Amino acid sequence: MKIGLLPFLLLVLQVSCITQEICDDDSQSELVARFKTIESTITSDTIMSDVSIHGIREGQSDSLLYDSVSTSIILLPLDPNLEQSRFVLNMNKQNDTLVVTHRNEVYLISYTCGFATLFNLENIGYTSLMIKDIEIKDSIVDTELLQDEEHIWIYY
Amino acid sequence: MKNISGSIISSLLLLVLTQPLAGQDTLRTYGPRIGIDLARFAYIFADPSEIGAELSVDAEVYKNIFPVFEIGYCYISETGDLFDYSAGGSYARAGVDYNLLSVTDRSVHHSITVGFRYGVSLFSHRVEDAFVPSAYWGDVIVDTYENNLTGNWFELVGGLMTEVTPNLFLGWSLRYKVLLNPEMDPFVTPLLVPGYGRGTADRGFGFTYSIFYKIPLFKR
Repeated sequence: MKIGLLPFLLLVLQVSCITQEICDDDSQSELVARFKTIESTITSDTIMSDVSIHGIREGQSDSLLYDSVSTSIILLPLDPNLEQSRFVLNMNKQNDTLVVTHRNEVYLISYTCGFATLFNLENIGYTSLMIKDIEIKDSIVDTELLQDEEHIWIYY
Repeated sequence: MKNISGSIISSLLLLVLTQPLAGQDTLRTYGPRIGIDLARFAYIFADPSEIGAELSVDAEVYKNIFPVFEIGYCYISETGDLFDYSAGGSYARAGVDYNLLSVTDRSVHHSITVGFRYGVSLFSHRVEDAFVPSAYWGDVIVDTYENNLTGNWFELVGGLMTEVTPNLFLGWSLRYKVLLNPEMDPFVTPLLVPGYGRGTADRGFGFTYSIFYKIPLFKR
């Protein structure tokens, strides 16, 4: 008798488990860059002041990502439409251009949140008015941003 | 609800019919038993709707030991705000059931079984019009993504089966399933692994409610 009632109990449990699904995950993949100074062979974290950044978007007007901020870390969205993202970094009234070359892979975050782009960093080119060097620390840029995750170091 | 009431009836019948009746044939009937899973049809009302069918064949090859072979097909399709998705394919499971019910009358064929299955599914899934957001650079729409996949899983099975009239059985089973290759598609986790269930979970439960007919080849 008790065994026969088991399917009924399971149906009740199944119905009671139905919940509304809400997306809590971020669907934007952003490159994390940390500013560093390099003095002879010693590197250290630094806060850059009066930093403005915009992306170079073909056929679109420039739109600032950062506007005269003081920061040690910047988050840069990469272009999922192309395999290259270009940025202009303005510091102390001097512009440096950053060219990030990446491979793009679209992947499913979840059935609730939909798709996002995974960027695999291949190369970073730059002008060197202010920038001394750039080092790739982690070449995978996706929506999951772990604590202390940094993709590139920009040396001044 | 028909499944539930049918299962309750089959369970009650099992309890009543396990007692030997006076003048009953004491020979045991042997032959392949062919079943169809009726619970599959209820999945049409699931969200997303799942269309499929499942057949099984088993036979008592040795005392209380039943090798089992199950085959099926299922398909889902859903249209969403962020993307459209479909998946479908066929599957097969093979395993063994062991009957725990002690036989007081050899002509009675009810059973309470425990067993296992190994399952393989060959299927494909497809994403269309996937929206990939990029607030700064501009959103991307991916037209089509398709992949042919193979799923493997293992099941522990417990079930109950009642012979409601000679050679005609009703029975249900509960299954605990472990997906052996949940990373089969690194870009899009399949929503459906036919025969297993939701590919987004590497553990899951399953339920069947089946009607069977045993082809009586011989008695012994």
